Amino acid sequence: MQPLEDRDYFTDYEILKDPYSYFEAIRAKGPVYQIPGRDYLMVTGFEEILQVLQNVEDFSAAIGVQGAAAPLPFKPEGSDITAQVEKHRLEFLGGDLLVNYDGQHHTFVRSLLAPLFTPSRLKANEQYINEVADRFVRDVVARGECELIKEVSTPFVTLVVADLLGVPPEDRQLFMDTIEAAPPPGSLESADNDYSSADHPLVVMGGYFARYVQDRRANPRQDVLSDLANAKFPDGSIPDAGEIVRLATFLFGAGQDTSAKLLGNSMRFIVDQPGLQEQLRKSPVLIPQLLEEVLRLEGSTKQTARLARRDTRIGDLKVPAGTKVMLALAAGNRDPRRWENPQEFVLNRAKIKEHIAFGRGKHVCAGAPLARVEVRIILEKFLQHTANIDLDASQHGARGARTLDYEPSFIIRGLAKLNLKLSPAPGFVHDVRPSAPKPQRPAVAAAETVHSYSTAATKIRDLLANPAAKALLDQHLPGVSSDSRISMAKGMTLRAVQAFAPKQFTNEVLDALDADLAKLPPPAH
Amino acid sequence: MAKLIVTTRNGETRTLEAPTGLSVMEVIRDAGIGDILALCGGACSCATCHVHVAPEFAGVLAPLSEDEHGLLESSTHRDAYSRLSCQIRMNDGLSGLRVTIAAEE
Repeated sequence: MQPLEDRDYFTDYEILKDPYSYFEAIRAKGPVYQIPGRDYLMVTGFEEILQVLQNVEDFSAAIGVQGAAAPLPFKPEGSDITAQVEKHRLEFLGGDLLVNYDGQHHTFVRSLLAPLFTPSRLKANEQYINEVADRFVRDVVARGECELIKEVSTPFVTLVVADLLGVPPEDRQLFMDTIEAAPPPGSLESADNDYSSADHPLVVMGGYFARYVQDRRANPRQDVLSDLANAKFPDGSIPDAGEIVRLATFLFGAGQDTSAKLLGNSMRFIVDQPGLQEQLRKSPVLIPQLLEEVLRLEGSTKQTARLARRDTRIGDLKVPAGTKVMLALAAGNRDPRRWENPQEFVLNRAKIKEHIAFGRGKHVCAGAPLARVEVRIILEKFLQHTANIDLDASQHGARGARTLDYEPSFIIRGLAKLNLKLSPAPGFVHDVRPSAPKPQRPAVAAAETVHSYSTAATKIRDLLANPAAKALLDQHLPGVSSDSRISMAKGMTLRAVQAFAPKQFTNEVLDALDADLAKLPPPAH
Repeated sequence: MAKLIVTTRNGETRTLEAPTGLSVMEVIRDAGIGDILALCGGACSCATCHVHVAPEFAGVLAPLSEDEHGLLESSTHRDAYSRLSCQIRMNDGLSGLRVTIAAEE
């Protein structure tokens, strides 16, 4: 069999399952290793990774999104390629995203984000996070089981970021649907890593944020979007509206996937570490410590990348300008020179917060404070509302011999799904939601909810679910029901979609469709 | 351009160029001085960019927010001149600002 260290990190599905053994095989070659037959270095040493992350003069983040294996858009020439990087910046994948920026422009754009994640700001959002978390957890505990990632994690963190950014409640379902349909960032299938198609989630959500920013610049209100849309750079200059749109949109791409996966990874430790869930149920104050140790051992981001833009060094190794460097954050977090018994799960390690699961330096994860709050809160709810949590053995096998599927990504370390069995806590009550009160007058409530299908009130998802309504849709708008862009917008009504494609969805067509839809029996409730 | 004078943990003093709008933390970090961890990246969330400001500048700086005050409370090295360096934005009026990086927690 091919030795582990000779396999290709960027495409190998075995490494995907267990990147840690692979990183140890690489570490055995030294903390900085030139991968044979490839044109990039891999750094597994904790100190060496910090050195690169902190040396922002010599190392550019321009290859942050595309990774170290992808080719550069130019042929590096000479001992300083800074000018070449700048000239070709937009040709790098994600070249117009914050994560790839360098220098003062990065610092300025980044400064727009900082106010979103301060302690007082998160405190203000905590009540909403609590309510949403409680609702999700009660719903699945009442059922006795769930698939954590798609049913809870992803919609939960998407709602939280949406609330933080002030996305109007009526648009949040669309954001959730769009994200659910998206491939993971850094997909092993490189064809997925194309951000230019019209139905890529960043593009779809970008359309929304463009409208929000435009509107809040014209009519500022007292809300988060107004603050963000009208924020100034630290020197008083005004950011381009596109910059704000990309920033806000990227928070969904970057923020939600990693946080969702952190919940999954944490849950796996909670279930499979003997005695841990009992300990945490008794002392929920230990949850933050648990999160830090999970981040160290199995953080959601396995790696990032930098490009040497000037001749430089990592440790003693000479690194010429143009060298691509993969920083294996997950390996640095298990470096035995930095961590005692690095492969072991230990609660309450000294200086645990110095792990590099969120990176370090200029590009350190801006959303880390939010991730810590939201995952802590939902774990508190899970432990509070259950007497026991287990993995579903019919899906994942027995403890000690689990079968787990991971997202096919060279960036993300996260479970594609995690099926849980949930035993309710003594005295558990499902429905205490003030937001979903039992109808006081059922007859009236029923009368209010009976209305026929329409392009203004019925979500596309519900139209497509009814064969007769779908047939009418196909008749009036041929091809629409199978259009992939529509599958992204299934949480919207057709009238809402009209704003994006007024030529296709004219008033005449929608009025005619409404006339036919009105003849259908009203949807059941 | 404004100057920032920084004393590191090993007692070395360096004078750095400090562009308007950058925070003191960013100026120190981008100069490659590793004493400041700045784990949260400038969101006033972690207290790992703690500095002591030279007394003659303490009155010139914008006052502490509640967040900054709360975080500094957790530090064993807090004194009357303690600030989180991510919360001080440089401008020409602050040229010559002297700060000393606080001892490690």
